[in-house]
Order: sequence, then structure tokens, then C-alpha cells
Amino acid sequence: MTEKANENWEPKIIAFVCNWCTYAGADLAGISRLQYPPNVRLIRLPCSGRVNPFYIVKALQEGVDGVLVSGCHPGECHYISGNMSARRKFALLKNFLSYVGIEPDRTIFTWVSASEGEKFAEVIKGVTEKVKALGPAQKLVKKL
Amino acid sequence: MENIEKQVQEHAKKLLAEGKADVIIGYEKGTLPSQTAPCFITDPDDAGRLVWNRFCSVNLAKYAHDIIFRHKESQQRTKPEERTKKVVGIVARGCTTRSLTIHLQEKQYDRDQIVIIGVPCTGFIANKKISIAVDGREVVECSVNGDSLSVKTKDGGKDIPLRDVLADNCLTCRFNNPIISDVMIGEAAPPMADAEREYEGIDEFENLPVEERWAYFTKEMGKCIRCYACRNACPSCYCKTCFVEQSQPKWVGAGIDETDTQVFQIMRMFHTAGRCVDCGACLEVCPMGVDLRKFLKKLDKDDFQLFENRAGESMDSLPSLSVYSEDDKEEFIFEP
Repeated sequence: MTEKANENWEPKIIAFVCNWCTYAGADLAGISRLQYPPNVRLIRLPCSGRVNPFYIVKALQEGVDGVLVSGCHPGECHYISGNMSARRKFALLKNFLSYVGIEPDRTIFTWVSASEGEKFAEVIKGVTEKVKALGPAQKLVKKL
Repeated sequence: MENIEKQVQEHAKKLLAEGKADVIIGYEKGTLPSQTAPCFITDPDDAGRLVWNRFCSVNLAKYAHDIIFRHKESQQRTKPEERTKKVVGIVARGCTTRSLTIHLQEKQYDRDQIVIIGVPCTGFIANKKISIAVDGREVVECSVNGDSLSVKTKDGGKDIPLRDVLADNCLTCRFNNPIISDVMIGEAAPPMADAEREYEGIDEFENLPVEERWAYFTKEMGKCIRCYACRNACPSCYCKTCFVEQSQPKWVGAGIDETDTQVFQIMRMFHTAGRCVDCGACLEVCPMGVDLRKFLKKLDKDDFQLFENRAGESMDSLPSLSVYSEDDKEEFIFEP
């Protein structure tokens, strides 16, 4: 997982997405035939509130170069408040991980609704660019 | 302080004799001169064993939770109408009562299951600081006189100003008087002088370049031997099965891999986000002297600055991750 950065290096990014908004948004992006980088692997969860902060840290340890978490916009959660509890966790986690020395751009949080297919493509583009600029993950990565 | 000790003993004796508490958790003289040990008094005549001094360092809230929980578990096969409640009396300073508040907020037990003997606190002495002051020599005798600590080793004595040996978390403590109590002993202690400077070290560390922060983090975590003493001493770590011992899923490897240790520490600290009361129990028990506070205090700072919450400051302010607000700040959200 820790190949050296060369011209052909492509980042691996894991995205934890909510079933009701971002996953549907990704679907819409697909249906609309929007182009976006293929570096992101989506993992569908019921809600962004389902994302255990451990998933994010664990993903980094397993060697992904970036983690994206995306859910419904605040106030639009299928489960009323899941994303607002999540927002608190993520605010602390992002600050904490960057405090211990992991680049802040490795963990990215965003909201994409089911009708925002275009925004989804933009987010993936943006995240891929950000992670590409950082290069391969070295910190916290378990060497096998 | 001796006066307080006497009153603690009297109250403990009274509570036990009147049957208001089944057990009193307090401190007793330890086997080493610079340490005290937690003790559990069930006989009113033993109340004389209780002590209260500058060497009382561990957070006793941990034991209150343990005792009540074990008792509850032991009654699982008892008929509901025959179940009894364990009432625990506890000698508690500010940080201990904050931990108790968190337990109560998280519905671990009922308020009538604890009787709090509140004591004012002016800080405890960190054993590691004594060792540093005497260059690691064995301490034979230790006593506090006013504002200094006189330590005797085999090679001679030394007087150390109290300020130099008080635990870091005590120096910047905001809550040295109990938040909640049933019996309050003595007069409220004056606030600690450095309370306003509690986040100074954190601000400094935040401004370091990211590589230096990572270097410090890995250096500190490199010391960790995964004895889990920090978890065992932490009153906020009370999960029945901790994630480090879980095997399905196996969250974190148990080997010597350094990233496993880092992930363990990151997650254990993160689990205390909004719940860490800065009691210093983890630091006091850590055999390797890992600077956990540098990282725990960051969570505390964010907790306060983002959610205006201080863990366990009152029964009404719930741990910040168990509630939410519609207007929480979200500058960290990525917008392409």
C-alpha cells in the first residue's frame, strides 16, 4: 500500500456515504453521465451518523490515502438528527487528527444531497486533487 | 488538611454506622511514603484508616462505577423484587465529582446510589515529579510543610517548593471544589492560580509545523507498552468490553506494531472526548510517562471552544457528543 509517489501514482480514497443523500447523489451523477476521477471507493451506510470515527482512523491505518465522509445536509437527515450528531464527532476528530500530525486534507467531510449529482462529481474531483497534492499516506499506515 | 481528614473519618463512620452507605471509598496510607492507595471501608471501626492529603491522586469515581456495576451484574439471576441496591459513599474532590456527574448523566447508576463526601482540593503531588526532583532515588520519607515538600532519600533530604511537584492538571484546575456533594467538608478551596492558562501548552503545540507534531506524537506513543493502565484508571473508560479486547471485529492489533499503539491511543483518547475531566489519573498511573495530557487537553479545548462545554461541570450540561445543536460550527465542511 505504500508505493512510492511517481507519475503514475493514483490515490486510493474511501468514501463513507449516507444511503439517502450522497449515495443517491452519486447515482444521479452516474445517470447524468458526469465524469469524475475513479479513485474513490464508496461504502454505503444508512446515515453519516453511522460512521464510527474508528472507521476513519482504521481506514487510514489500512493504508488509504484519504477518507471522505458525506451525508445529508443538516436538517435534511432521513433520521432527523443523525448528521448533526455526526457533525460534532467529525469536528472533534478532524481537529484531533490534524493536531497529532496527520495532514488535515486526508480526512474530508462534506454534505451532498440526492439532487446534487453535479456537486458529487465536483466533490470527488476536489478531494482527489487535494489528496493527490499530499502524495501517498505515510503516517499511521500499518506496514505489512 | 488534618482537620479535613478527621472530618472525613467521622462522616465515613457515621454513614456506615447509620447504614446510609454499604461501603466508603477513600484513600488510605500506601506502601510507599509518597503514595496513597484507594481503600474500601465497610466496617465503621475501620474508618480511621482513611486519609486525606496531597498524595491522594487516583480518581475514585472509577471504583464507585466498578462496585455498583459488579453488584448489578451479580444480581442478574435474582428476582426483580428481591434485588438490592448498593449504596457507595465516596470521598470526592472536584474532578472526582465531575466524573460522578458524567456517570450520572450517562445513566450508569442513580443519584441515590452514591453518597458524596465532598472535600476541597488544592492539588495533588505527581509522583513522577518527585522522582525527577530526586533523580530517581528511592524516597524514604515524604511530608508536606506549608508550601514545600520535604523529601528524604537514603543520601539526604531535600525541600522542594510545592508548585514544582503539583500535578500539571492540578496547577490549571478550574474545578477544585466538588460540583455536587451530600456532605461538604471544610471551606471551599481558593481557585488555582493558573486556571486561565490551561490551554497555553496546547496553543503552542498547535502552532508547530505538522511534521513536528507528528514527530512528537510518535515519540510519545513509542514509549507506550500497551499495559492499558490509562484505560483501567480512567473513570470515563467503563465499557464492559473495551475495543482493544474485542475480536469481532478486531479493531486494533495486539502486537508490537507501532501503528496499532498509535491507533489505540488515538481512539482511547477520542472516546473520552467531551468526557475527560482532566483528573490526571491516566498520567499518574502510566508507567512509561507518556505525555497523554498534551493530546487529551486538545480535545478538551475543542470541546469548550466549539461546543462551550466543560465535561461534568454541572448536571445540566451533557457530554457534548451526546447532544447536538443546529447551529454547530461547520467551517471544516468541504465545499468544492
